[in-house]
Amino acid sequence: MSADPAVASAAPPETGRVPRRQNRVTRRSVLIIDRLADWSITVGGLLVIVAVFGIMLFLAQVTVPLFTGAALESERSYPLRTDGRRTLILNVDEYRTIAFALLEDGTVTVAHAPTGTPLAGQKLDLGPSPVSAFGRTIRRDNLLIGFADGTVRFGTVSVTAEIADADRVPEGARQLDERDRTDGRLVYSRIPGNQVRIIGLRLQLDEPVRVTPDGAAIIAADYRVGGTAERPVRSFVTVDANGKVRLSRAESRLNLMTRQMRTTVANAELPALPEGVRAKAVLLTETADTVLVGTEDGTVFRYDSRDFRNPRMVERAAVLSDGEMLTGLYYLVGEQSLVVTGSRGTTDVFFLLERRNARGSDGFELVRAHRLENQGAPIGYVSASPRSKMFVTADASGGVWVRHSTSSRTLLKLQKTVDAASGYSGLVMAPREDGVIALTAQGEATAWWISAPHPETTLATLFGRVWYEGYPEPSFTWQSSSGSDSFEPKLSLVPLIFGTIKATVYALLFAVPIALMAAIYTSEFVHHRVRSVVKPAMEMMASLPSVVLGFIAALILAPIVEDWVSAVLMVFIALPLSLLGAAYAWQFLPRHVALRFGGLPKFALMFVFLLIAFQLCLWTGGLLERLVFAGDIKAWLAGTIGGPMGFTTLLLMPLMLAVVVWMSSRVLSDRLEDAVGATGRLTAGLVALGRWIATLVAALLLALFAASLLTGLGYDPRGGVVGTYVQRNTLVVGFAMGFAVIPIIYTIAEDALNAVPEHLRGASLACGATPWQTATRVILPTATSGVFAAVMIGMGRAVGETMIVVMAAGNTPIMDWNIFNGLRALSANIAVELPEAVRNGTLYRVLFLAALTLFVMTFVVNTLAEVVRQQFRRRAASL
Amino acid sequence: MAMDAVTSETAPPGVGSRQGVMPQRAAAGRVRLADLSAQGEPWLWCLGGALALGIVMILGFLVLVFWNGVVTFWPKPIEVVRLTDDSVIAGLPTRSARFRVGDQVLAALPAEKRAEIAANGGFADRTLYRVGNYDLYGEDFRWAADFEVVDRSRPMDLVLVERLEWGVFVGRIAAFTRGGETVRVDDPTSPALAEAWRTARARWHEIRRIEKGEIGTVNHHLEQERLRLRRALLEHPDGGPAAEAARARFAERESHYQAQYEALAARAQALKAQHEAETVTLIDVNGREKVQPLGTLVRYHAANQLTLLGKLDVYLSRWAEFLTDEPREANTEGGIMPAIFGTVAMTLLLVIAVTPFGVITALYLREYARQGRLVSIVRISVNNLAGVPSIVYGVFGLGFFAYIVGGSIDQLFYPERLPSPTFGTGGLLWASLTLALLTVPVVIVATEEALAAVPRSMREGSLACGASKWQTIRNIVLPRALPGIMTGIILAMARGAGEVAPLMLVGVVKLAPELPIDGFFPFIHLERSFMHLGFHIYDVGFQSRNSEAGKPMVFVTTLLLIALIFAMNLTAIIVRTRLKRKFAGSQF
Repeated sequence: MSADPAVASAAPPETGRVPRRQNRVTRRSVLIIDRLADWSITVGGLLVIVAVFGIMLFLAQVTVPLFTGAALESERSYPLRTDGRRTLILNVDEYRTIAFALLEDGTVTVAHAPTGTPLAGQKLDLGPSPVSAFGRTIRRDNLLIGFADGTVRFGTVSVTAEIADADRVPEGARQLDERDRTDGRLVYSRIPGNQVRIIGLRLQLDEPVRVTPDGAAIIAADYRVGGTAERPVRSFVTVDANGKVRLSRAESRLNLMTRQMRTTVANAELPALPEGVRAKAVLLTETADTVLVGTEDGTVFRYDSRDFRNPRMVERAAVLSDGEMLTGLYYLVGEQSLVVTGSRGTTDVFFLLERRNARGSDGFELVRAHRLENQGAPIGYVSASPRSKMFVTADASGGVWVRHSTSSRTLLKLQKTVDAASGYSGLVMAPREDGVIALTAQGEATAWWISAPHPETTLATLFGRVWYEGYPEPSFTWQSSSGSDSFEPKLSLVPLIFGTIKATVYALLFAVPIALMAAIYTSEFVHHRVRSVVKPAMEMMASLPSVVLGFIAALILAPIVEDWVSAVLMVFIALPLSLLGAAYAWQFLPRHVALRFGGLPKFALMFVFLLIAFQLCLWTGGLLERLVFAGDIKAWLAGTIGGPMGFTTLLLMPLMLAVVVWMSSRVLSDRLEDAVGATGRLTAGLVALGRWIATLVAALLLALFAASLLTGLGYDPRGGVVGTYVQRNTLVVGFAMGFAVIPIIYTIAEDALNAVPEHLRGASLACGATPWQTATRVILPTATSGVFAAVMIGMGRAVGETMIVVMAAGNTPIMDWNIFNGLRALSANIAVELPEAVRNGTLYRVLFLAALTLFVMTFVVNTLAEVVRQQFRRRAASL
Repeated sequence: MAMDAVTSETAPPGVGSRQGVMPQRAAAGRVRLADLSAQGEPWLWCLGGALALGIVMILGFLVLVFWNGVVTFWPKPIEVVRLTDDSVIAGLPTRSARFRVGDQVLAALPAEKRAEIAANGGFADRTLYRVGNYDLYGEDFRWAADFEVVDRSRPMDLVLVERLEWGVFVGRIAAFTRGGETVRVDDPTSPALAEAWRTARARWHEIRRIEKGEIGTVNHHLEQERLRLRRALLEHPDGGPAAEAARARFAERESHYQAQYEALAARAQALKAQHEAETVTLIDVNGREKVQPLGTLVRYHAANQLTLLGKLDVYLSRWAEFLTDEPREANTEGGIMPAIFGTVAMTLLLVIAVTPFGVITALYLREYARQGRLVSIVRISVNNLAGVPSIVYGVFGLGFFAYIVGGSIDQLFYPERLPSPTFGTGGLLWASLTLALLTVPVVIVATEEALAAVPRSMREGSLACGASKWQTIRNIVLPRALPGIMTGIILAMARGAGEVAPLMLVGVVKLAPELPIDGFFPFIHLERSFMHLGFHIYDVGFQSRNSEAGKPMVFVTTLLLIALIFAMNLTAIIVRTRLKRKFAGSQF
């Protein structure tokens, strides 16, 4: 830029005024302000970088805890006064206040869980016969104790928790730690709001019930409670010393007159185990429809007990490798995952799945779904979390590992030196998954307080295939919530990323050709007056709120498209045909006429032919439906009628056209040229038209041939790019999103084409090139990078577009390329689920990860576009 | 084809090339095939067709929105339709469509109708009637196929009643009560009815004013006192004289406000009793009656005897209600004033936040930075900021602004309200800040353009006269660039006003109980959640009980939103072209 004297003189008067001769030293304040402005504007300018990277870092920082596994917060060991007696169960309450153990003589020893301070114990009177087995429900409170004389007793050892005002704490209560005080028996925990939580123990034991008529000792038992609170149905399964497995059902009825519980027990004997195998563990489901018996040699016998009176063995599965002894069978919450532990440290998770040729006679078989890290020593105890698929395993050499089934991950490895011969005698995971307590045979308890806020997420579960409960195989699945407590969240981002890509691809397939062609036409072939109207109008459309497009797409467009599917498909055929036909007809016009009407009238004519094409589509849609889709397109799409031949032909047409055009231009063109020679305009036009029609026919024949070949090979596009029709589908999303993206691509591409220096255009035209040749051989190659940037920016917008996909895409997280099916995009998923997500919960952080993924995707695309664009500008400036 | 083009372009003219000899041939009216393919006529038509398609799509879209938005409030006639099964429906014809007749329906039809449908290719026409009377029949809309219609008529005495609840009523007004006596209505346009209705409406407005305005004020003061007490107790957790004083003060104030409240409530109760007592009896075409307070009729008109002027009156009154009133019936009826208010308030706040940030960055890029790698990075950042999906800003706004910044503000300044958050959740302030971040690139780019358009000579002149750099920018550059900056701000407003996705995370709600600006200190409540036109479209279109019933409302809201945004854009474009013209001579 050169200084222009005219403008300089037009500068404001205060700079032009001749200063009076006075102090020529610049005022300090001016200098200071100048320095200040310098400094603050530079900082302000760089703030943009901070903003971009700040957003990225913040999103990343929120997602980091997803991958950190578990952390050990504190560790404390203290004695639990077992005095050499065997421990039946070890438990801790929900608030990690008291830890207690039920011993074989019925004593319950209690300690303050965080500090180990002993509290007053209680005792259950178990009677003379020694305890030989016990089982308990998943909720841990209900116990079944089996005795050596063949009887069982039901009992509960439960924690009572009550909220009360702080003044309920008795005078002289002893301080245990900063939260808890005790009167020796109850623990008072201070909670916010000037209140206390009073924690105590309640014990209860029913009368003995005889199970084995011959008095054989019960060696293994499992227990479940179903039914209602008023009329509980207690199911339990026992194995006696003779190897007999019995399923029993006890029904208790409260006699309203006498206020007495009457318990009746019904027994059913299960088919006997083979000779010589010893039952090691037994499991029962809550509905008592399946019984599992594990034997020491690593075999699991599965019984179908849906018919209570007549249970039958349906499967015999070897669950461990040869020679490894089974040490335990456990259900995780929900009773869908079976944990099998072995004497060589194996921890495997099995699912019961329906399979073709299944091992089980009922069509199901136990399938190893997860193989967890080997612990190296026999695993003695497992304790499952009551709220998720997390569990702890303790081995004989003192290792206590915190694991998660879904992610197959070992979250934390805890270690304690124990006596190798006796090992542990109890293990429990705190109900809120925030602690593990292990008890050695010598009576020393160790409490590890841990934090594992997001055990189910790893990079592998978020981006890889995961085998979820009840699924026939590992899969990419997104299902973040459900009504049930034992639900396994399925948080794979892959279906969402796929949905985003699918929507983007279909939208760009629609938008890019239209936008680029329109941009070339606007920049090179229309009158500048048309351009000065069309360009700003398009720019204005770029700021159209996407919620409006989404609304129109979902509530107006989707029903229309549904009614006129075949007519809509017809557009892709009729529109180019009608325009090209018009073009060939135009070639017949005498040169002076063509030149005279080459401007606006020709453009107007294009509109006319466009509308003609649309009308044609309405008329011929039915024809297409009859010809290709067997008369009913939706039934055809669903695969119930018709063959794939016709549609495959249509799909192949563009490819075949390209092939034919390429071949004819290589082989035929020059010969045809020589054969025809210089001729009248009419003849030349006729020849061109003839060649075009011949090309079409040849392509159609080729496509038919290829399609019949493909059909013969068994190819069917249904199930691929097309398939069952859903009203909110990708076609509609593609239209709407294309509508949103076209103005952006168009504007930027047009700018790039327009930025090509005028002298290149002039030179080309002066050399005798036609405008068409100039556009394709000179302008487009020069502007390629700018046009590329336009497409990339359009893509960035399509990737992040939210409202259109929320409203028009149906939001089903499925992975297929079917254009007539819906999708769930990352952005829509965030918009739908984040308002409901608990702050700092797993879903919250996973959704932040989704946002980060989106950010990174667009960051790459945009940075690429901007780098290309900067290069283009530099090149364009140097031309 | 392609080969020819290459030859003709690469070969030098005159060396026997086809191009070189073309002019003579053209003059003789003789052409070769290559000449035709050089013109690329078929391709040109494809390009032109694409542009035409784009324009047709845009026009079609605008016409669709505009037409539907404009006609929604125009009163339609009520048609009474007698069907072949002798039932009668009365409703407003909404739209017609062709449909494929199901096999079962077809089988039940008489032969001649079947033949008629078969001749139509299995299709028949049907009309969707808005029948209203949801409280009586449980449906708002009903399709009537042409083959089941016996006759249609438009009786003059049918009335369309818009009500506060249960949507519209289509039928007749049979009677109303005035001072305990029942007055029969023969003509729905009777002045006595109109008079009674106006009184009842005035009473209803009075009740609402007392309940929302006066009782609301008392409740607000009471809540303030409660919070003050809590704050005092939190500051003095162990009691003491200060806490006692606060308790005493609260008890005194509470009884004071309680008395006020009771007086107001009694007044409202008396009015309500009167409101309930004056009823109107509505009868539908099947003779079913509905009695309800006269004051709950929002508007009524005898749809089939309206003159053009009468229609215009209804039309304008509906627009007035739409623009100035609050929504009813899960947002599908009534007005959208809170949404307009929320959109405008958010957009204005956005401007306050976005302007300094955008202008300073542009100044840095144009006036301060040395061109180099750093500027290149800044530009990439700006473009990324423009390209990052808006929903990501929403996520950031929720996580950072609302939860972290807002959470800290709550801890420091509003401990008495915890655990219910004040700033620690989505709200007006966070929404505007989030959108400011989103729209800052627009301002940067526009400001940069404007700065670039200020001739260098002016800067040099200023500097040569001894002005400092900042003085030059402040006094010479910025004033010249002001129209351009304004353009940028307006474009940012347009972008911000239309953005919905991030707002769903940071503070927009479907129904805000209070406006963000009201008469209570501090008058502007930045922490409140608000309603928004764009979200209103999403909410009514997709979350309401009957999307068909909400559709007209959505169209009008859409029209309003688009009009607002296009008006802003148009202003920006006009300002920009003016600016370009003004500096056109001084560029080079």
